[in-house]
Amino acid sequence: MVKVFIYPSNSLILSDLVDRFGHEPLAVMQEIGKKIRTASLDSPPVNITPEDPKIGLKYAAVEVPSGVRGRMSLLGHLLEEAQAAILVREPDISFGCMGCARTNELINFLVRSKKIPRLEMNYPVTEDEAKSFVHKIREFLEGLTTAESGNGGE
Amino acid sequence: MSDDDIIIKMIVLHSTFTLPSDIVIKVYESKADIMVKETCFGLIIEGKRSEVDRVVTEIRKLDPNRIFIKERGVPPGDEYRCRAGRGGGPKPGFHQHELEFALLPYFTEALDEIERGEMPEQKDTTPPRLTINKLKEIIEEEVKQSERGY
Amino acid sequence: MEKESLVKIAQLSCGSEYSGIQKEIQTAAEMVNAEIIFPDITIDEIKVVGEEFGLQVASPDLKLMMARAKELVDGKVNADAVLIATCFRCAEAALVRNEIRRYIHENSKLPVISYSFTERTTSGTLLTRLEALTTTARRRSLLSREHQEGLTAGIDSGSTTTKAVIMKDDKVVGTGWVPTVKVMESATDALERAMEEAGITRDDIQALGVTGYGRFLIGDEFKADLIQEEITVNSKGAVYLADHQKGPATVIDIGGMDNKAISIQDGIPGIFTMGGICAGASGRFLEMTAKRLGVDITELGALAVKGMQEHVEMNSYCIVFGIQSLVNSLAKGSIPTDVAAAACYSVVEQVFEQQLQEVEVNEPLIMVGGSSLIEGVPMAMKNLLKIEVTVPPYSQYIGAVGAALLASGFIDK
Repeated sequence: MVKVFIYPSNSLILSDLVDRFGHEPLAVMQEIGKKIRTASLDSPPVNITPEDPKIGLKYAAVEVPSGVRGRMSLLGHLLEEAQAAILVREPDISFGCMGCARTNELINFLVRSKKIPRLEMNYPVTEDEAKSFVHKIREFLEGLTTAESGNGGE
Repeated sequence: MSDDDIIIKMIVLHSTFTLPSDIVIKVYESKADIMVKETCFGLIIEGKRSEVDRVVTEIRKLDPNRIFIKERGVPPGDEYRCRAGRGGGPKPGFHQHELEFALLPYFTEALDEIERGEMPEQKDTTPPRLTINKLKEIIEEEVKQSERGY
Repeated sequence: MEKESLVKIAQLSCGSEYSGIQKEIQTAAEMVNAEIIFPDITIDEIKVVGEEFGLQVASPDLKLMMARAKELVDGKVNADAVLIATCFRCAEAALVRNEIRRYIHENSKLPVISYSFTERTTSGTLLTRLEALTTTARRRSLLSREHQEGLTAGIDSGSTTTKAVIMKDDKVVGTGWVPTVKVMESATDALERAMEEAGITRDDIQALGVTGYGRFLIGDEFKADLIQEEITVNSKGAVYLADHQKGPATVIDIGGMDNKAISIQDGIPGIFTMGGICAGASGRFLEMTAKRLGVDITELGALAVKGMQEHVEMNSYCIVFGIQSLVNSLAKGSIPTDVAAAACYSVVEQVFEQQLQEVEVNEPLIMVGGSSLIEGVPMAMKNLLKIEVTVPPYSQYIGAVGAALLASGFIDK
């Protein structure tokens, strides 16, 4: 089983397909869940505190908006764990955790610079595209083996 | 990540054969120690990771290509995320849901194809980009034609 | 204070939850008896909003903001006011923030406050903004007042000085200006001076308005009819004195210790910044410069107008190091006029750096506060921003005039 980072990180379909084809999706919901269940924090709605954007300084300097750094503090952990990745282009379908274009650009860059097996494709609009989307993802996921992930290029 | 961690999973259903209530019955039959909530999309279940994963595997079997599952961060009915506590508007991720939900029938068809062992030819649907020389040719041709017209 | 009615504030924002400050917004809202709501929209509305609005941006959450703004303008949401908030230093969000604010202002009657936050934003910072916003929502008719009537008084209890004015039939008839020592005593002193000049007694005053940081204390003691934060009051006072009550305007108030930059539409504040973090950007810097030059603060402006700030090298805006630079220049032979000009320019540059980063500058730019009387300051502002700067009469009494003007709305009550 390979840990597959998905982008948009809160996508139902990507999370489902990775799981369905036998791998572990790395999705932001897991990180949000951990935050919300941390009883000692009291910063609703998602328990990100003003301390979190500081953790995000690891990825971007102070001149980068706090919303980007706060989101990076959530996603950074997933990026570090990722052994493979599926990136969907045209991120205008994503909201909330993935609602900031600048954060999304940074995440995509960091994934690409990791040199892990990676599938990049456009988000489907038509029926044919949706079908092809699923087939490509299946092909990619079936080709992943634990041995080749995490250290090789594409 | 431990099996005892509490997690939440969202079961999204688009099916004329299976209803959220069928799944709820399945969950009760499993005798798992988890919480279930029906929603407009399907249902949300919350419990220990080991229990949730076991039940989810069973649920998927009910209608594998029409049930879609993802983990969710926010507990069901969370006061900050529920519309009721937000004066109308849903949590931000909801709109992504709306969008993906509309595409689920297409994904189902693809999954059905895979089940039948069909592998459609992969077509690249993007047309090739126009080269600058070709654009120049077109412009010159159009200009000539319009000059002839006047 | 009277029990205020609940105000529903629609929040249009991007990044507040991820900056960890959503709770601060909620807390500040509760303090002014307001409820934060999020307008409901569908994915289809989000898809088309870029085209309908005419502003195509990359971030989905900003599109969500625009779609929600449209919903508010279309009257589909039960809201009384709007808070627009995005991350500080995000250019994409700043464009959306400003355009949404303008759009809502032009197409609805909803008051709007816009703010750019960082992770350091606290409920305290947000409180003044939400106080101004809920006031505008609750007192719309009061704020539409364009003329002062009857005989009213206004007191502005500031951190450095306390100002009082007496107004009668749309004219200032008495003023009082004293350093703030003890809040109550200084307020009493300032008011008495104003009353003496106007030739009236306390019993003649038909209504009293108070503002400034000591407003709650003096408001209770004097049983004021209006107790109001200074953003709303100064905005109103500035457009009234500058005779520009309609359309956009910018107010820059350089006080003794605290500065404000306010972007105004029809006399109502929309975006503003308040500072107080650096003495180098304040009237205090000018006072120290005057002292070093051996002139009275009232003479500094005239000197500065004759000087050339370019002739003096300043390596710092800081009140300590900046003043040192000025002293060094004097030692090296700089002439007092140039040093005075450099000091004025330094203060203005610092206001530009600190206050104007998130505030749009629309003409007319109305300069108020004690420092506006030092002629070199508005001149430096004009040179820096390349726009005309207006200094209205009684500009140092702006808060007191605004309070007296608004207080006349209480005469019949």
